Amino acid sequence: MIWRRKNKRAKDRPSPDELVPPEGVTLMLPIAGVGVRLAAQITDILLTGIGAACLVILLSVLNLTDPQSMVAIASLLFFLIRVPYYIAAELAWNGQTLGKRMMKIKVVSHDGGPLTAHALVLRNLMKEAEIFLPGTLLLTLDAASPVASLTSLFWVMLCLAIPLMNRYRRRLGDLMAGTHVIHLPVPVLLSDLAGEKQRVNVDRRKFIFLSHQLDHYGAFELQTLETLLRGQSTPPSAGAAQQREATIEAIVEKIRNKIGYADPVPREDRLSFLKTFYKAQREHLEQRQLFGDRREDKHYAKSSEEA
Amino acid sequence: MDDQDLIRSARFRQEREADWRRLETLVQEAERKGLQHMAFAETRDLASLYRQATTSLAIAREISLDKALLGYLEALTARAYLCVYAPQQRLGGLLQRFLTQGAPRAMRRSWLFILLGFLCLGLGTLSGYLLYFENADWYYVFMPTDLAGGRGPHATTEALRSVIYDETPVKSGLGAFATYLFSHNTRIAIFVFGLGVFACAPAILLTFYNGLSIGAFIALHADRGLGLDLAGWLSIHGVTEISAICVACGGGLQLGAAVMFPGDKSRTEALRHAGHDAVKLALVAALMLVAAALLEGFGRQLVQDLTARLVIGWSVGALWLAWFVFGGRGRS
Repeated sequence: MIWRRKNKRAKDRPSPDELVPPEGVTLMLPIAGVGVRLAAQITDILLTGIGAACLVILLSVLNLTDPQSMVAIASLLFFLIRVPYYIAAELAWNGQTLGKRMMKIKVVSHDGGPLTAHALVLRNLMKEAEIFLPGTLLLTLDAASPVASLTSLFWVMLCLAIPLMNRYRRRLGDLMAGTHVIHLPVPVLLSDLAGEKQRVNVDRRKFIFLSHQLDHYGAFELQTLETLLRGQSTPPSAGAAQQREATIEAIVEKIRNKIGYADPVPREDRLSFLKTFYKAQREHLEQRQLFGDRREDKHYAKSSEEA
Repeated sequence: MDDQDLIRSARFRQEREADWRRLETLVQEAERKGLQHMAFAETRDLASLYRQATTSLAIAREISLDKALLGYLEALTARAYLCVYAPQQRLGGLLQRFLTQGAPRAMRRSWLFILLGFLCLGLGTLSGYLLYFENADWYYVFMPTDLAGGRGPHATTEALRSVIYDETPVKSGLGAFATYLFSHNTRIAIFVFGLGVFACAPAILLTFYNGLSIGAFIALHADRGLGLDLAGWLSIHGVTEISAICVACGGGLQLGAAVMFPGDKSRTEALRHAGHDAVKLALVAALMLVAAALLEGFGRQLVQDLTARLVIGWSVGALWLAWFVFGGRGRS
C-alpha cells in the first residue's frame, strides 16, 4: 500500500517499479516511459480529431456553417470533444483511455489506493494547459511575434522536462493529482519445462548428471537455456531449420566440454539431452538456493571469494 | 510421470496452478465488469486468492528458478492487487454531489483567491479605462485586432451603436464571432488556471491584461456616450463570463500559492492539497463559461432592450452568487 519512502542515497532507494502492499510481498508495477505515453496520447488525439472532423463534415453537408467560420467551429468542436473524452474515458475504464488501452498502460494512484474522480479530472484538465495550449500556440506561430513563440517554446520544454526529471515519470498534472502511469502486466503462464513428460524410449539410456557436473552454471545460464528450449516448441521456418540445428549442436558441445560429459550425444537425442540437463541443473540450483547458496550466474564462485 | 518424479518447484507449481488460473479469470472479470457487479462469492474468492497468490510469489522467489512461473506470478499478483486495492469507484451521484456540495464549498473555502482574481481584473479594467482617456491609441495596444471586430477609436458612433443593438443582424458572421469569443475566453480561462502553477505571476498578468482590454473597450464607448448601452450589451453574458475568468484565476492563484508557500508540506504535497479545491474552481469556471456562451449566443440577439439586458445579466449573476453562498450548507 505504501510506496517506499525515498532515501537520499540513490543506491539505497528502491526501484520506482516496486510496490509494497499490506501483504508485505513486494510487487512489480513497471513505470510507463515517456515514449509509450506519447504514443497513447497521439492515438487519443487522432481518435478525437477524427470525431471532430466527422462532425464538421456533417455540419457542412447539412449547410449549417459557412466557410469563414469553419476553422473557428472546427477548433471549438475539437476542444468540446477532447476535454470530456479524456475525463469520461478514464472515469469509465478506471484510468485508461482508448489509446492507453491499446498501449496497455494505466493510470494508478500514487499511494496505491483507488483512483478518485477528482484526481482524474485534475490530471486531464492540467493536460489541457500543459500540452494542448502550448501545442496550438506552437502550431500557430508567426515570425511577427518572436516573444510569444519563444515563450511557448520555453513552456513546452519545461512541461516536457518535468516528467524526465522525476523517477516516476509524472507530468505536472500527475504531480498535482497524485497519480502515475504504469505498464499493465500481462499474466501468461507458460508450461513448466521441468514438469513436461519426455519421450524417452525405453531402449535408449537416460542421461545422468553427477553433482560436480552441475556446479558450473548459475541461475542466469539456466534461464537462458529455458528461453532457448521454449523457442524450440514453435516450428521453424524453412531456412531457419538448419540454423537452429547448428545452434543446438554448438550448445550441446559447449555444455559437454564445460561440465566434462564424456559420452557423445547422438543427433536425435540433442534436445532430450538439453531438457534433461535443464531439469537436473534446475533441481541442483534450487537445492543449493534452499541451503542459502544463491548462484546468480557462472561467476558465483569468484564473487563469493571477493565478498 | 508421477508426482515423486517431479522436482520440488514443479510440484509446488502443480499443487497451486488451479487456484492461480481461477484468480486469473476472476481478475479478468473484475476488470471487465467492476467489483460492484460481481457475485459475493466471487469477490470473496478474489480477495482470498489474491492473498494466496502473494504468498505463492514470496515462496516462488525463494525456491523456484522457473522464469515463466516467476513472470506469471509477478504479473498476476500485480494485476490482482489493482483489482483488490484500487477498484473502480462508483460513478453514480458524482455530478449531484459536485453540484450540491463540492463546488459551493470549494468556492467558499477559496474566497480569498477568487477575490484576488476579481481584484486583478478590476485593477486592469481601471487602468485600461484611465489610459484610454490619456491617449486613445492605447486601445490598439490592448485590444487584439481580431477580437475588436472593426470597433475602435476610428469607428463612428453609429457603427458602434449598430454593433451593440444589432440593427442589421447577420447571423453567420455573428455566430462565428461568438464562437471565436467563446473559444478565446475559454482559452484565457484555461491559461489563467494552468499557468497559475508557475508561481502565480502568469495568472495575475493575464487577468490584468484581460482587464486592460475590457477597460479600454468600455472607455471607448463611454467616450462616445454609449456607456450605458455597452453596459447592457456586456452585462447579459459578461457578468457570468468575466466572473468565470476570475474564478479560474482564483484556482490558478491557489496552485501558485501552494508552489510558493508550501508551509510544512513538500511542494508536491502542497500542490496535491491545493488541487482539491482548484480543480473544482476550474470546473465551476467551465460551467459558467458554457452558460455565458449560451447567453451570448441566444440572449444577446433575442433581447435588444437595454433594461431587459441589464436585468437578465445581473440576475443570472445573482443566481451564481446564491449558489456559491447558500449551496451545500446542510449537514455534510
